[in-house]
Amino acid sequence: MPNTGWDEFEIGAMLRTFDGGIDDIAGTLQEDRPYSQNSSFSASVADWRIEKPVFNKDYCIDCQFCWIYCPDISIISRDKKMIGIDMDHCKGCAICVEVCPTNPKSLLMFPEKADEEVEIANWPAKETKEK
Amino acid sequence: MSELKKIKNLKEFSTSADRFEGANLLCPGCAHSIIVREVLNATNDDLVLSASTGCLEVCTAVYPYTSWDASWIHIGFENGSTAVAGAEAMYKALKNKGRLKQPDRNPKFVSFAGDGASYDIGFQWISGCMERGHNIMHVVLDNEVYANTGGQRSSSTPIGSSATTSPAGRVSYGEKQNKKDMVSIMASHGIPYSAQVAPNKWKDMVKKIQHGMEVDGPVFINAVSPCTTEWKFDPKDTMLLTDLSTDSLVFPLYEIIDGHELNITYRPKNVVPVEEYLAAQGRFKHLFKDEYKYLIKEWQERVDANWAYLNRREEARV
Repeated sequence: MPNTGWDEFEIGAMLRTFDGGIDDIAGTLQEDRPYSQNSSFSASVADWRIEKPVFNKDYCIDCQFCWIYCPDISIISRDKKMIGIDMDHCKGCAICVEVCPTNPKSLLMFPEKADEEVEIANWPAKETKEK
Repeated sequence: MSELKKIKNLKEFSTSADRFEGANLLCPGCAHSIIVREVLNATNDDLVLSASTGCLEVCTAVYPYTSWDASWIHIGFENGSTAVAGAEAMYKALKNKGRLKQPDRNPKFVSFAGDGASYDIGFQWISGCMERGHNIMHVVLDNEVYANTGGQRSSSTPIGSSATTSPAGRVSYGEKQNKKDMVSIMASHGIPYSAQVAPNKWKDMVKKIQHGMEVDGPVFINAVSPCTTEWKFDPKDTMLLTDLSTDSLVFPLYEIIDGHELNITYRPKNVVPVEEYLAAQGRFKHLFKDEYKYLIKEWQERVDANWAYLNRREEARV
């Protein structure tokens, strides 16, 4: 489907977001939706990133600031818990890291090629304020 | 369906199923999609959406992809609001004739437009929609510049800002005209609700959006949307810039009910000097040269005067 050129369709052809219908879209989470190849959900912008966010669950307080301020719907929150980052859609803007209120931050930016497990093992310690 | 979505806190809000998808082509750190998400997640009802030409439109509907999981239309630069108003008029007509297939559904009609498509090009069309009293909401994503075409000035661009058609240099300090007060202009139509919102104050924003969707009649929302490319700051600082804009009172958050009842909805505890807001952006860099420093003082005076004006209006209820 992505290989079909715009001029190869019949006039009036419809490209649909979903394969099949959804009655209650606002009550259907993304993993339950039958996305078609025409939804940008099926695409990826992962190659835009220079740095990637790494999520350390140990320090997360589930405040959801990262969820609300993520411009790319890349923070996955289910049942009021932050469970991970959608690396297909993250563009690496680092807003989530900036708004994270914990000390040390539970989200930090690392180079794209960094190993997640190594970085989590070497997570920076709590910062103490100088008086 | 159609009852108000209960959003008490952010944890509750985070259970929303987004109807705006990632892998759109907006710049990293763009505030547009933060605003769009907050608007769409404020309701569980069906949505009929439109987007006027602008960053949001060109980045979310690139062949063969769409980022919208709701009915969405794009026609021209100027008439996004009118397209949605037409859909709303048709919905009303079919409802009156009893020809709706699912009459219990209560769709909301929302049009998104940038400041170019609202302050300049779409101005008379929006004015028409407001005057005719359609039950629609018009949301302006106000980034104060034509960001999509390379940063030309719009009538929302504030004084001193360097844009490609009003560049700062040896003979000029950039944009010379002040920003149009669009919220007041729209409120003067006597519409039931118009408000200014910012994405960092999500609770205030969701409250205003929900109120706007509930009232019967046209609603105008002006949302500040910092643009990393044209305001020239680091993508990670989008929320910092939004905080600075609301806390320095450059973008005061208020609402106007029925065209006269003004309420200020956010009073910052610590008001930040406007200088900090200007210093955080590359487009105002030249104002910190000695010959243009007087403009910063004028900025502060203008912002203070506007804040005093809003306070007087709130007190007088006119």
